[in-house]
Amino acid sequence: MPFELTLPSPWADRGWKAKIRDKERLEPPHVSIMNGKGDLWRLNLRNNAFLDKEPPPKGVPQEVLKSVRARFADLQKEWDRMYPENPVSSEARSKPKDARRE
Amino acid sequence: MRAVNEALWLIQPRAQATPASAQLKTHRLRSSSAIRLAVRRLAANALWVAPSEGALRLLVGALAHRLKGDQTILSLKSMSKARSEFLRSYFRTVLSADEGVHLLPTEELMNALSAANRAELIIGGAASDADDALILYRGDLERIVVPFNWFTVGPASRKPNFAKLAIVDGGQTVRLGDYEAAVDAILYEFDPQYRRRAKKRLAERDDSLGGALRRLRLQKGLRQSDFASVGAKVIARIERGEVRKPHQKTMVSIAKRLGVSPEEIATF
Repeated sequence: MPFELTLPSPWADRGWKAKIRDKERLEPPHVSIMNGKGDLWRLNLRNNAFLDKEPPPKGVPQEVLKSVRARFADLQKEWDRMYPENPVSSEARSKPKDARRE
Repeated sequence: MRAVNEALWLIQPRAQATPASAQLKTHRLRSSSAIRLAVRRLAANALWVAPSEGALRLLVGALAHRLKGDQTILSLKSMSKARSEFLRSYFRTVLSADEGVHLLPTEELMNALSAANRAELIIGGAASDADDALILYRGDLERIVVPFNWFTVGPASRKPNFAKLAIVDGGQTVRLGDYEAAVDAILYEFDPQYRRRAKKRLAERDDSLGGALRRLRLQKGLRQSDFASVGAKVIARIERGEVRKPHQKTMVSIAKRLGVSPEEIATF
């Protein structure tokens, strides 16, 4: 089953969701934030930063982002439970010494 | 005699002769290209004979190919097979809310269709049990076929229930009962152009071959030790960037295990 955070009102009522689904792009570990209108933002569970330039991260309401980040540890734990073959901590073990952060 | 034959055309798909059609002495059109050639030579009073459903389909398909442009059509209502066939004569793709076809809820569907990224959203789909595959429609009505076995089950997942297909989250999620798959993951796997666009959108990324190999290997659910002809240590060294240009033979072996071409690995 997907892991979905309960977002505060009124954002949940407006269709906003934050979840980790059963089949995600695995690398890097992330939580997907969606507004129900087709926009999706991926928040990196390794460094707490947005993964993509588009759509612009500022499109996520601060209250939603705050709510997601407040549960960051739970999300990391849930990712590891759902995708044990690619845990949040695995990048550190395999990253080349001179590689940029993902 | 020649004029009579040219005004009468029998559509008879290969290996579909009927007793009735066998009696007819005229030209037989057995393929779409033959029909299209005949259309170009068509006399105004020509009579076309389609003795079977297969012949009708061949005819409609060939004429539609000739008539239609790049348009597509979506109907929110179900339609009869006849109407669907009619529309297919004019539109490259026809999608309607027929039995077995699941569309986004109407409000979300309208949002998705008007979104700038509609081609990157799924607006509908159907499960074909006979083919063990999902047929998914993007917002531009292009199709994607996803085999059932692509929806792998993790330790925290329920088994996907393909009889309970639903498209949710504004077109970002394919729900299969208690199981959910990210549309992003589907497109990333099955659409190379999407993959290229997605990589461009990344704020930060590991551009290396090793990074791409690692992403693809994990996406396929494989361990570094799952490559029979290439050792786990070699895979690890490539992923860490310690082998910048692996031997072609090694890449072919790796690609074969991953189910892609060697050139495709770097695109992930």
